[in-house]
Amino acid sequence: MSSESGKKRKPKVIRSDGAPAEGKRNRSDTEQEGKYYSEEAEVDLRDPGRDYELYKYTCQELQRLMAEIQDLKSRGGKDVAIEIEERRIQSCVHFMTLKKLNRLAHIRLKKGRDQTHEAKQKVDAYHLQLQNLLYEVMHLQKEITKCLEFKSKHEEIDLVSLEEFYKEAPPDISKAEVTMGDPHQQTLARLDWELEQRKRLAEKYRECLSNKEKILKEIEVKKEYLSSLQPRLNSIMQASLPVQEYLFMPFDQAHKQYETARHLPPPLYVLFVQATAYGQACDKTLSVAIEGSVDEAKALFKPPEDSQDDESDSDAEEEQTTKRRRPTLGVQLDDKRKEMLKRHPLSVMLDLKCKDDSVLHLTFYYLMNLNIMTVKAKVTTATELITPISAGDLLSPDSVLSCLYPGDHGKKTPNPANQYQFDKVGILTLSDYVLELGHPYLWVQKLGGLHFPKEQPQQTVIADHSLSASHMETTMKLLKTRVQSRLALHKQFASLEHGIVPVTSDCQYLFPAKVVSHLVKWVTIAHEDYMELHFTKDIVDAGLAGDTNLYYMALIERGTAKLQAAVVLNPGYSSIPPIFQLCLNWKGEKTNSNDDNIRAMEGEVNVCYKELCGPWPSHQLLTNQLQRLCVLLDVYLETESHDDSVEGPKEFPQEKMCLRLFRGPSRMKPFKYNHPQGFFSHR
Amino acid sequence: MERAVPLVVPLGQTEVFQALQRLHMTIFSQSVSPCGKFLAAGNNYGQIAIFSLSAALSSEAKEESKKPVVTFQAHDGPVYSMVSTDRHLLSAGDGEVKAWLWAEMLKKGCKELWRRQPPYRTSLEVPEINALLLVPKENSLILAGGDCQLHTMDLETGTFTRVLRGHTDYIHCLALRERSPEVLSGGEDGAVRLWDLRTAKEVQTIEVYKHEECSRPHNGRWIGCLATDSDWMVCGGGPALTLWHLRSSTPTTVFPIRAPQKHVTFYQDLVLTAAGNSCRVDVFTNLGYRAFSLSF
Repeated sequence: MSSESGKKRKPKVIRSDGAPAEGKRNRSDTEQEGKYYSEEAEVDLRDPGRDYELYKYTCQELQRLMAEIQDLKSRGGKDVAIEIEERRIQSCVHFMTLKKLNRLAHIRLKKGRDQTHEAKQKVDAYHLQLQNLLYEVMHLQKEITKCLEFKSKHEEIDLVSLEEFYKEAPPDISKAEVTMGDPHQQTLARLDWELEQRKRLAEKYRECLSNKEKILKEIEVKKEYLSSLQPRLNSIMQASLPVQEYLFMPFDQAHKQYETARHLPPPLYVLFVQATAYGQACDKTLSVAIEGSVDEAKALFKPPEDSQDDESDSDAEEEQTTKRRRPTLGVQLDDKRKEMLKRHPLSVMLDLKCKDDSVLHLTFYYLMNLNIMTVKAKVTTATELITPISAGDLLSPDSVLSCLYPGDHGKKTPNPANQYQFDKVGILTLSDYVLELGHPYLWVQKLGGLHFPKEQPQQTVIADHSLSASHMETTMKLLKTRVQSRLALHKQFASLEHGIVPVTSDCQYLFPAKVVSHLVKWVTIAHEDYMELHFTKDIVDAGLAGDTNLYYMALIERGTAKLQAAVVLNPGYSSIPPIFQLCLNWKGEKTNSNDDNIRAMEGEVNVCYKELCGPWPSHQLLTNQLQRLCVLLDVYLETESHDDSVEGPKEFPQEKMCLRLFRGPSRMKPFKYNHPQGFFSHR
Repeated sequence: MERAVPLVVPLGQTEVFQALQRLHMTIFSQSVSPCGKFLAAGNNYGQIAIFSLSAALSSEAKEESKKPVVTFQAHDGPVYSMVSTDRHLLSAGDGEVKAWLWAEMLKKGCKELWRRQPPYRTSLEVPEINALLLVPKENSLILAGGDCQLHTMDLETGTFTRVLRGHTDYIHCLALRERSPEVLSGGEDGAVRLWDLRTAKEVQTIEVYKHEECSRPHNGRWIGCLATDSDWMVCGGGPALTLWHLRSSTPTTVFPIRAPQKHVTFYQDLVLTAAGNSCRVDVFTNLGYRAFSLSF
C-alpha cells in the first residue's frame, strides 16, 4: 500500500476556500514553489459527463469487485486472500476515484453555487438599481403632478382685466413689449401692478382713517358745546314767560296742557288731540282745556305689589270689622255700583263760542269700568237771560243736546257689554244716573274714537283717532247751530208768551199786511197731555210724537173763533220742522178728521214749511208758522160760505182778496198767499 | 271765520218730511189699467202711483206688495181726475190733461205721451179740471172743471171740438147717458145740466137745491157726484143723495145719509156710494133700502 499512500501523499489539494486554503497555499508555495495542483482548474478541464460515466463505471467496478470479494470470501482459500487483497486494492483505487469524483462534484457544486451566487448578486444589484430608479421615477412623477397641480396664490387674486391693465399700468410695470409675448412675464407684470395698486390704496385708507379721527374729534367738541346750550335755553324760556303772557301766546301753557294730557285715558286723549287740532285748524272759537287732578290720575296706576299689600292689609282689617259689624247688603251693593260708575279724575272741557258771544261749555268725562264717555253741557250767554216759563227746557243742561243726531237721546249706554256689568250690581239703566254722570251720547263716543258695532260686539273697544276726526267738524257745527237755534227760540218764546208773534222784517213778505187773528196763549204741555188730546192721534200714530220732543199749546183767537194748535218741537229744530195739529172751535168743533179745510191748513204749515224757513239758519221757522196760522184762520173765517137759512150778517166780512173761494172736488179754501200781488189762491 | 256751508241734513229730516206728506195727502183720483192688474192713483201733490193689484190681492202678499210699484211726478198741481182708455191713462189736474202709455208707465222715468190744454178764457188763474169723461162712440174726451165749461177733445186728432157753456160755477162731475148721447154735469152752482152731444146744446136743467126734499142749506148747494142709468140719476153733495127720474125731473127717493156725498155709482140694481169724510161705502138695494156698508 505504499504506492497508494504515496499517491495519497503526493497530490496536495489546494482548496480555494478560506484561510486554511491560503495558509496551505502559502505552505505549498514555500514548500513547493511553482508547483501547485489546482483542482479548480482541473474541474474546468474535465467534462462532467465523462465524470459521470466514470462514476458509473467506478460504481459498477466496485460492485463487481465487492461481489467478487464476496465470492472469494465465501469460497475461502489461500489464494483468496491475495485475490481479495488485489481486489481490495482495486476497490481502494476505485474508492479513491470515487472520492476524487466526490471532491470534484463538491467543487463543481461549490463553483456552481459561487457562480450562481455571483450572478444572483449581480441580478440583485441590478434589481436594486431598478428599484431605485423606479422609486425615483415615481418620486419624480409625484413631484411633477404636484407641480402641475400647484395653484399659486396669485391665481386667486382677481386681477384687473388685460385691457384695463394695459391701459392703466404705467409702462415701467407693464413692459408691453416683453409681456405681450410671454404669458409668464405678463402675469408677473400684472401681479406687480396689483401690488402697486394695493399699496396705493392702503395709503389712501390710512389717510382716510386719520381724517375720520379728526372729524370725530370735531363732532365731540360740537356736541359738548350744544349740551352746554340746553340749560341756557331753559333759562331763556323761563325769562320769556312774562313776555309770552304779554303777547297772548301761551306756549308754556299749551306745553303744560300737553303734559297733563299724557295722563288722560285713551278716549279722552283722542278727544283732546282732535279737538285741539280742529280748533287750531278750522275754528278759532273753540278752546280746549283739561280739568281734574293729575295726581289722582297717576294714583290709578300704582304698581300692583303696593296695592296687593294694601289689599291684604285691608282684608285683615275688614275681617276684623266684619266680626264686629257687617255692612248691610244694600250698602255693599251701593258701593259696588259707585265703583262701577266711577269716573276718571281728569276731564276735558270744550268751550264753543258762538257769534253772539254765547258760549256752550261741554265737559267730557270717561267712565273707566264701563269704557264709555259722557258729557255735561251748559250754555252761558253774554247778557243775563230771563227765562220765560215755556222756555224752561230749551236750554236746560239735561235736554239741550238731546237728539243732536236723530235718535241719539243719550239715556242708554251705547256699550252693549255694559248690560252684563249692570246686571251684576243691580243697575237697571244708566238713565237713572245721567244727571250726575252726564249723557252718554253716541256722538260723544265717536268724538272719543270709541265705536261699538251692534252686529259684532268686540272684546275690547279701543279709541280710534280717525273716527274722531271724521266726526269732529260735523258735530261742532251741529252743536253751534243747536245752541243758536235754542237761544233764538228762547227769545221768541219770551215774545210769544206776551201774545206777540215776532216776525222779522225779512220775513214780512210771507204774510199780508193786515192780520186780524192774534195769538193769545203760548204754554208748554207735557208729553202725556199731548198724547191725550183727541186731535193729535194721527201724529201719535205716525210715530212722530216721541218722548224726546218738546210739546206746546198755542191759542189763536178772532172774534168767537178759537183755534187751538198743539205743537211738537223736535230737538232737531230747525232742520226738522215743528208739527202742528189744529182744533177750531167755531160753530162746532172742527178738526182734521171732520173738516178738510182744517187738514189743508195743517198741510200749509207742516208740509209747506220750507217756504217759511226764512234766511239761513232758519231760526224764524216757528214764528213764521205761527203767523201763517193766524193768516190761515183769517182766510178760513172770511171765506166761510154764508148759510142762507140763518139770519144775520156774516161774522167775518171778507177782506182778503181771493180769486176763487172754492176749487177742486174737495172744495178747498184759498190758503196760499201770493206775494207781492197780495191775493190768495189755491195750491 | 266760519264758512257758509249749508246745514248737513241728518237722516231724520227726510223721514219726518215724508211722514208729514203722507199724513196730509189726499188721493183724488184712481183708474184701473185695461188689463186689470194695476191701479193708478193720483194725489194732491201731483204724483201718480201705480200699484200692482195682482200682487197686493194675491195670497202671498207682503207689506211691500201694498206699496206702489212706481211713483212719479205727473203734474204741478193736484191730479183731480183720471180715466183709462184701452191703451192710455189720461190724467188731469191743474188745467192740462196728459196722456201716458200704460205699457210705459211701469218703467221709471216715463214721460207723458202728450198734453193738451183746453182753450181757457181767463189767463189770470189756470182753472182745474175736475172731471174727465170718455165718450167711446165718438172716441172723444170731455173735460170739465174750474172754468165752468165742458170741453170736448177728439182723442185722435187732439183738437177741441166743442165748448158747452151754461154753468155759473165750476163743474164737479160728469156722467154719460148712453142711449141718447147726452152728458150730465153737476157743479158748484147746484144744478145738474144735461147736454146733447150732437147739437151741443143744453137740454135739461135740474136745480137740486130748489127741491125741498133733498136740499140741505147748511151744507150748501153744490153737487159733488153724479151717476146715471139712462132713465135714472143719482146725485148728491150739499143736498142729500137723491134718486131722480130723468124724464120727469122729479126726485123719487132721498137716501138717508147725513154726510155730503163724494162718489156714487150704479151697479146693476144697486147704488154704491161713498162719503168723503167717512171710511164707509154704503150699498143701497131696491133703490131705497140701505142694505149694508163696506168699511175700511
